[in-house]
Amino acid sequence: MYRYDEFDEAIVRDRIAQFRAQVARRLDGSLSEEEFVLIRQMNGLYLQLHTYMLRVAIPYGTLNSRQARQLALIAERYDRGYGHLTTRQNIQFNWPRLADVPDILELLADVEMHCIQTSGNCIRNVTADHLAGVAADEIEDPRPTAELIRQWSTLHPEFSFLPRKFKIAVSGAVHDRTVLAIHDVGVQIVFDEERGGIGYRISVGGGMGRTPMLGKVIRDFLPKEELLSYLEAILRAYNLAGRRDNKHKARIKILVHEIGLEAFRERVERIFARLDRTSIDVDAAERARIAAYFAPPPFADLPAESAALEEARRRDPALDAFVRTNLIRHRQPGYAALTVSTKPIGGVPGDVTAEQLRVLADLAEAYSFDELRIAHSQNVVLPHVRLDDVPAVWARLVEAGLATANAGLVTDIIACPGMDYCKLATARSIPIAQAISERFADPARAAEIGPIGIKISGCINACGHHHVGNIGILGLERQGIENYQITIGGDATELAALGERLGPGVDAEAVPDVIERIVAIYLAERAPGETFADTVRRIGIEPFRPALAAPKEAVREAA
Amino acid sequence: MATAKPPARPAILSANALLGGEVVYFGAAGWTVRLDEALVAADADVLARLEAVLADPGTERDVVDPAFVAVTLDDAGRIVPDHYRERIRALGPTVRADLGPQAEGKHRHVSL
Repeated sequence: MYRYDEFDEAIVRDRIAQFRAQVARRLDGSLSEEEFVLIRQMNGLYLQLHTYMLRVAIPYGTLNSRQARQLALIAERYDRGYGHLTTRQNIQFNWPRLADVPDILELLADVEMHCIQTSGNCIRNVTADHLAGVAADEIEDPRPTAELIRQWSTLHPEFSFLPRKFKIAVSGAVHDRTVLAIHDVGVQIVFDEERGGIGYRISVGGGMGRTPMLGKVIRDFLPKEELLSYLEAILRAYNLAGRRDNKHKARIKILVHEIGLEAFRERVERIFARLDRTSIDVDAAERARIAAYFAPPPFADLPAESAALEEARRRDPALDAFVRTNLIRHRQPGYAALTVSTKPIGGVPGDVTAEQLRVLADLAEAYSFDELRIAHSQNVVLPHVRLDDVPAVWARLVEAGLATANAGLVTDIIACPGMDYCKLATARSIPIAQAISERFADPARAAEIGPIGIKISGCINACGHHHVGNIGILGLERQGIENYQITIGGDATELAALGERLGPGVDAEAVPDVIERIVAIYLAERAPGETFADTVRRIGIEPFRPALAAPKEAVREAA
Repeated sequence: MATAKPPARPAILSANALLGGEVVYFGAAGWTVRLDEALVAADADVLARLEAVLADPGTERDVVDPAFVAVTLDDAGRIVPDHYRERIRALGPTVRADLGPQAEGKHRHVSL
């Protein structure tokens, strides 16, 4: 895992000192709220519905036990005993006091963490595959690339006030677990022997919100050493021409859409050709230095199968169910990654208590080479667990309420905080997730339904990724009442697709019934071996439209 | 829904406290966390007073994002925000009864 050097440490401490002074100046009245809002956003501090919210960056979702324990301490000392994992692999605290934030930032800095660029119109925390260094389909570990981008983008003077926020994701595998296509820039690591081996396929202009668009490939093969200068060219082209007159049209997706991919590519290439690349790109030695931080841990030489685990599975059906759903085969024989679901039946997706964070820290330290990953699904991953140790890890997860065997299933729902917390929300998300979770609580039924991604957003900004949900749910307001639009056909994998609206929105109470009917249609239509997404791809969304047919009073006109 | 302009009366003035961030209302003795202490602009005099608070540059020394919130007085004379957003704001998260003003029983009478 990457460790701060003296520059990282100095940058973070300097920024805290600066922010502490800025908070003091806001409190004594020498900074207006209008001036201060931009400053606090650049330090990850929002004002939400009930109070402030502090978003902590977890670069590419990687945490060690010391960091997890510090987050637990902050949750207890300065918040309400819990944190919330986000779809961008971050954690946020929902109840900090402004006056305490500089002290919280000091505690974060003690464990090499910060909140810089987790808000505001800048390059946000870089995300990456949560199975980096684990997955068998990996071409190259995405973390060194993500770390390189993190270093380049942190406090980049040219890109601190972009037209709008800017999100970059990195995938190094064949199967996309980062939803590259919905990012402003998607970096896909590729291998092409004829063009020099490992390089990058760069996509641009993806995004969700009210105008969802999938990213388009702007360079199908970028030599590895040119990454930063090419990103700089993209960002400069966007920074110069992105719209600043209308917040809703300010993302790069709108620019690329309005002028067309070819015209945008020409601008980028023109800038790229004129850049002094030697002052931007890093050499092979520096890339190797960064990559060394992500070298595989000292795995033991183990047999591919574990007799101890198999025996324990035979004895305990609950462990067996957990292994079937939450265990991911590791490329290292004898090891596995375990998905720790933050979605207990009826729970709040993504919420983890301080005590749970400490359990995860203990397990990471004892069983997973001191590593945790936060997935964009709002779950946690123990990336490197010996198969022999799975029963012991599972037993501890059971005690901590973290062993729900539902990874990737119908109750593993992504939901944004919605109107229970968020100032921008138009409706609640969490209660909808809870109601669906309770409706499909039976594990046998969930297993029968198989992999399916339900994603819920409480407003059109789509933090809950509803556009790419196999079933997407968007909460809106209709005549003073919460109203939910249902979409079908979204896909968050390498087959990325945007869902299509089934029809008019429905009231909150009707949502579980609609989901129930959608699932019933799928079960009736599916061919052997098909997942929900497969079936929808094959038969389209038309057969699902009757699912909306609810008792008349529950159906309202589409917003 | 909170708006910068006063909605059709009655309305109250709400904001978040600068230092702690908590939801506050403007009452007879200044900003308060108690919804039932909020001054209700049901006549021109109170409305003028709340508008003066909103317009006062000194207000932002204490609070952030002050705005009018449309309310109705129920049969018992209790203040009920018209919009569900403001009712959630007054109570706390609907999924965590242990958090927000609802946890202290301050605003338990306000229902979604």
